[in-house]
Amino acid sequence: MSTRERAAGLLIGVVFGLVLSGSGMTSPVVIRDGLLFHSGYLYGFFLSALATATAGQWLLRGRGARALLTGERIGWKQERPERRHLTGALLFGIGWGVADACPGPILTQIAQGIPYGLFTLTGVVGGVWLYHRGHRTAEDVEAQPAESRQVYAGS
Amino acid sequence: MLHPQLPWFVAGPVMGLCVVAARALFNGRLGVTGGISEVVTKIADRSMSLDWRGFFVAGLLLGGAGFGLIAGGPDFHGYGWLTDTFSSGAVIGLILLASGVLIGYGAKTSGGCTSGNGLSGNSLLSPASFAATATFFATAIVVSFAIEALI
Repeated sequence: MSTRERAAGLLIGVVFGLVLSGSGMTSPVVIRDGLLFHSGYLYGFFLSALATATAGQWLLRGRGARALLTGERIGWKQERPERRHLTGALLFGIGWGVADACPGPILTQIAQGIPYGLFTLTGVVGGVWLYHRGHRTAEDVEAQPAESRQVYAGS
Repeated sequence: MLHPQLPWFVAGPVMGLCVVAARALFNGRLGVTGGISEVVTKIADRSMSLDWRGFFVAGLLLGGAGFGLIAGGPDFHGYGWLTDTFSSGAVIGLILLASGVLIGYGAKTSGGCTSGNGLSGNSLLSPASFAATATFFATAIVVSFAIEALI
């Protein structure tokens, strides 16, 4: 990972954070107004972002472009829906509907000096850590050579 | 909101361009939870060699702080329905903490949050992201109406 790649990541983050704040998405009242259909802003914002991201990325892929910093050919795999996409999204949706903030806005709340965001971020970090702990254990067992697994299972 | 809101047709496309930039520069999938996850796992492994996604999170914080400085303070006071309903800071803190756990664990399980699945995954026309996005939007809408009905 080169310094240029890190600097580029940082710069994308700065733009993302400024615009997320400028759009009002940092405010739980704005999010809630969207979820209760009091305002169409959330949907206009989300759908125009989605349309831009879709057009831009498919254009890059269609041209057979290579990534400017990594040289990788632009491409991706499309995932099939599995049970976890629904169960995970259900948990996420409950948290989002109660806290009226998702991970991006939680970070911009803290950065703007809103202390409530610290509680939510602590929870997010805990949730991510729990997920990794569960999956790392499973991966470590998978990653062990078959012989040592048998020895372990037999002992 | 205390500050004028950018029109959605300006803010939305700029967010979309951030997703395009990550694709054009790294062939990467932009997502805030992915960035937080990068920071959490690197710290857990006692390594501070963060990749671009970790720096994306740092930039996000800088951008939010920059907005606060330019605007002369945060964008809102109190905390929406929670401070309107509960007077105890401890209760609000606990509710936010529990919501955060659901957000973090749920986003990791489903492969992304509002940015990772909602913007990036959907823009790749990934059926898994369509399913996740429809589920979390519908759930959050139902939860919001349920809270509205109860309080």
